[in-house]
Amino acid sequence: MTRTTPSGPWQREIDFTPDAAVKAAALDEFARFINPQKVRVLRAAGLDVIESQRSGAWVWDRDGRRFLDCFTSAGSFNVGRRNPRIVAAAKAALDRLDHGNFLLASKEKADLAARLARVAPGDLSCVTFGTGGGEINDFAIKLARGSTRRPGIVSTINGYHGHTGFALSATGRAAYKEPFEPLMPGFTQVPYGDVDALNAALDETTAAVLLEPVQGEGGIVVAPPGYLAAARAACDRVGALLILDEIQTGLGRTGAWWASEHFGVVPDVMTTAKSLGGSIVPISAAVYTEELREFLIPNPFIHLSTFGGSDVACAVALEVLDVIEETGLVAHAAAMGERLFAGLYRLAGDYPDLVSEVRGLGLMAGIQYAEDAMGPRMSFLLARHGVLAIYSGNQPAVMRLMPSLVVEPDEVDFLLEALAGALGDLRAGVGPDETPRTRRRPARPAV
Amino acid sequence: MADWTELSEALADYTQTCNANERLRKMQRDWSRVLHFICSDSDVRFTMQVDHGEIVAVEPGHAGSPDIIVTTTSETFCDMFWGDLNPVQKYLRGEIVVKGTQEDVMRLDAISYVIWPDA
Repeated sequence: MTRTTPSGPWQREIDFTPDAAVKAAALDEFARFINPQKVRVLRAAGLDVIESQRSGAWVWDRDGRRFLDCFTSAGSFNVGRRNPRIVAAAKAALDRLDHGNFLLASKEKADLAARLARVAPGDLSCVTFGTGGGEINDFAIKLARGSTRRPGIVSTINGYHGHTGFALSATGRAAYKEPFEPLMPGFTQVPYGDVDALNAALDETTAAVLLEPVQGEGGIVVAPPGYLAAARAACDRVGALLILDEIQTGLGRTGAWWASEHFGVVPDVMTTAKSLGGSIVPISAAVYTEELREFLIPNPFIHLSTFGGSDVACAVALEVLDVIEETGLVAHAAAMGERLFAGLYRLAGDYPDLVSEVRGLGLMAGIQYAEDAMGPRMSFLLARHGVLAIYSGNQPAVMRLMPSLVVEPDEVDFLLEALAGALGDLRAGVGPDETPRTRRRPARPAV
Repeated sequence: MADWTELSEALADYTQTCNANERLRKMQRDWSRVLHFICSDSDVRFTMQVDHGEIVAVEPGHAGSPDIIVTTTSETFCDMFWGDLNPVQKYLRGEIVVKGTQEDVMRLDAISYVIWPDA
């Protein structure tokens, strides 16, 4: 496929009047009506950004500051923020569609399902839609249990699959789960990458193994060589399904359409979300085999979602897939990933006291710092250098770098320069200015 | 450098302020932790035990297995327990080092927010 351009055209210059007062008011309202502690933490960390103009790989704060967005809502903006083609498709869809009657068949759903079947790995050809990642992982787990009539779901420590019922039960972070226990029974987490632990956890009661090819929230941990193939074999041995959660890793993020392609493994079910909506609409999808679809033949209304795969969202997602394919975005991501990793390895060599490891695939990069606190500190420092980047939820020592796949070489270089500057600041002990407070501490008596 | 007497005064005020705050105790009722504190500029060490949101013991020396270890100067500890500084800002400057989960680090700052909301 000939690459035309991944670059929109994008806006590189500010096109609104900065207004710090509007920003301050928005933060105050957010604090008052949503969560004051969230705002306090974001303010202290220099991440009190009120997103205004958004274009391609960039976002502008309401106060006029520009950031290269390397968080991208955990990998939701693969085709760029407000990609002109996606915006146009959304506008055209809104001129003729709404979200549609979820119980009826729809041309938009059918078109997107057919398109997903064409780009999905192996023999995955049947589709169910949802609105977000948690919901679609819930469906994948329901499909596994319904198809196998088994209860067991094996996932991994530090794995992340969402905050809804089944998905939360599979998520491997206690802090997300403990206040809501008891969660679903039958869920087990094993160490990621440990084939022996995975084999030991599987038996004839296991419905499915649920894995990310690269753990995102877990700290950009790439599946070790042979791990996914071993998981595939283990599932086949006991008759369980392999579900791959490609919600962060899919749609070109790792330099392949799907990260599973790097490992030569085809799952029974693959879930996708985030970037499928093109930064404009919520949509997710599970793609699975015809054999699994058999469970849904006598149960065609057993899983319903009012907004899942809305007609407007399907029209937008179709354009997302077109943009990825027609602009050669997967190959572009691979090339930009190579440029990024070459620079990251240089930085790791320059700052061995601060950077322990660099890892990832394509444009899904992780920097492991020497200490946990360095993740939050680097988020603060990178914001000062014009980069929006947030450490991993389950591994605060790891900085996630997941820019839009439309980044150009000069933008990758901008990121690398910002990282070098921030690492220098980290070494020098730069941090936020201290807010003066009324002193409560009694004055020390004069000696 | 602050001595143990000064630190004790700060800790007593902090303990009283926290334990008297019904909102905080309700919010933290599922939070039981052992915290070890290390003064980086002296040999002073102390332990705080939190049981279901209530500070039930503050003692010199280290006791028990810590869930959280906080290290900074004795002066910073005093200012922090009197509410005279924003601990997140010190944390992000690398002047307060906390070993523990991110959730516990957030909890510590949430305590500051609840007892000194205007700070």
